[in-house]
Amino acid sequence: MSFNPPDGTRYVLPDAAARRAEVVATLRDLYRAWGYDMVEVPALERYDAGHPRQAQSFKLSDRDSGVLALRSDFTPALAQLVRAEHPAVAGGARRPLRWQYSGTVWHAIDPELARTREFSQIGLELIGVSNARADAEILHLARESVRAVGLQPRLEVGNPGFVRALLDAAAVPDDRRDGLADAIDRKDRRDLADLLSSTPGGGMPDAERARQSLLAVPDLYGGTEVLEHARAVAPWPEAQREIDRLAGVLAEFEDASELMLDLAMARRLSYYTGVTFRAYTPDYGQPLLGGGRYDGALLPAAAGFSIGVERLLQATLARFSAPEPAPRVLALDDPAARVLREAGVRVVRALHTDIEEARAEARDLRVPFLLVAGELEPVAGVAVDDDERGDLTALLAAAAGGAA
Amino acid sequence: MSAPSRLTLALPKGRVMEQSLEVLRAAGLRLDTGGGARALRYDAGDATIIEMRNADVPTYVELGVADAGVVGKDVLLESGSQLVEPVDLGFAACRLSLIRPRGAAGTVQRVASKYPRLTADYLRRVGSGAEVVKLSGNVELACVSGLADAVVDVVQTGATLVANDLEEVDVLLRSSARFVVNRAALKLKHETLRPLIEALRGLPGSY
Repeated sequence: MSFNPPDGTRYVLPDAAARRAEVVATLRDLYRAWGYDMVEVPALERYDAGHPRQAQSFKLSDRDSGVLALRSDFTPALAQLVRAEHPAVAGGARRPLRWQYSGTVWHAIDPELARTREFSQIGLELIGVSNARADAEILHLARESVRAVGLQPRLEVGNPGFVRALLDAAAVPDDRRDGLADAIDRKDRRDLADLLSSTPGGGMPDAERARQSLLAVPDLYGGTEVLEHARAVAPWPEAQREIDRLAGVLAEFEDASELMLDLAMARRLSYYTGVTFRAYTPDYGQPLLGGGRYDGALLPAAAGFSIGVERLLQATLARFSAPEPAPRVLALDDPAARVLREAGVRVVRALHTDIEEARAEARDLRVPFLLVAGELEPVAGVAVDDDERGDLTALLAAAAGGAA
Repeated sequence: MSAPSRLTLALPKGRVMEQSLEVLRAAGLRLDTGGGARALRYDAGDATIIEMRNADVPTYVELGVADAGVVGKDVLLESGSQLVEPVDLGFAACRLSLIRPRGAAGTVQRVASKYPRLTADYLRRVGSGAEVVKLSGNVELACVSGLADAVVDVVQTGATLVANDLEEVDVLLRSSARFVVNRAALKLKHETLRPLIEALRGLPGSY
């Protein structure tokens, strides 16, 4: 019998668990302040072969021979919730739903290269509206999320609709699109050129011109000047419309300095329909969050993002790793302990009523004070801070005075 | 935006290291690698260089320990890493090929390779049910000694094949050295990386 958890899962010990709870609470408060209501969805889902991540989901057999899947992604689960509770919105009614979620997801993958199979996500969705102000709100909250946990944000922003418009103009057959989009996303011009030269459907002058334009897409990244370059590279009306869409979102920002454009972002081309983004922070080599607009994929109008909580914690730990403060007091006096706990002090209840045994217990816990009959007794062998002693004594005195 | 930032580069040991340093210098980086023995990680002027086995380069760059690096397309595909690969540097050109003893006929039963992922993909593509054995080096030996009836390995000039009476039966892919970049670094150190990428592309032999 192994004491280790299954591959790709892990225990979270007190310091890390406390830090995680703090980060999650900070983000929940941020989203709440912007009007995002918290919702919960089951971790057990009915297995659906059409689920965007079905290949990565853990499957379980239900007792009636049905098949269940462990939640692998919050977005499709929230879309189901919309269909169940807000059928009008699911049917296309323009009414905004602002929802936030947090919880565990599971991916049935090989746990290789620093990836786990069980991890936590927190995120939000703005459903039932599709315009530049909605896109900007999501993007802004993604940036604020990184800032709220004390990190400096840098966002890459793209619009896969632009690549899709160019693939249309270049008359690229459906079965070649994913390969080309992948090469564009990797900025691999060599692969892109090789793939294009073997892709049927060229020949027409317009399609040939669009293929030349596709070769320029990997280099369309940088500041807002990218929009002008893109306009020159891709004169087709559909492509121009996608550039306008991105420009409209950026126009909502007073300060766009932490945003960088990348029109080669073409990941999940058949899922994301509008603005997509990922957030980074200096000295951390992996994205902290990702999201975008996916109108028509699961719901008529929806956009959102999700944050990998473990990644975010790892990025913040590189900076501040204050350990969780140990409990300050061991109490033999329950009413006095209640007074201190109400003031936010961590107070442990003694497991022994004998004073000598309680003193030994306090020493073992490295707790600086023992609370006996309303009085604080410094614990021998544990460092005591006189200021702290004064603060705690004042709290107890104030409560005693109030009661008298 | 911010001031140009310093790069950390992951480079493979051996001949590719010397060629990589050459093109990076030609692209304008001042890199002083000193004389004789070097540490595994050292400050070379315009960049910090970490030396490693080529198969480890994708890992270091994907996890962002290095901002960028140089690695063969064959090794990169085998790793499955999702990196930005904006420049084909052109050197270290080779083919990844299916190799059998000269004149061998009949169905391939077992294929030995340092590239098990690419080999398995290839066998699936051509509809072969052969099993794959992962080896770490000197893969031709597997064929010569009878461990496997075919190998998938890198062919540069073909001299090794001739010497061992082996022949190239099929080409899986054509490879060359790629300049690879961590996705976050491309955005966070844009001011340093973009000009470097453009300078590397402008070199003869690059694309």
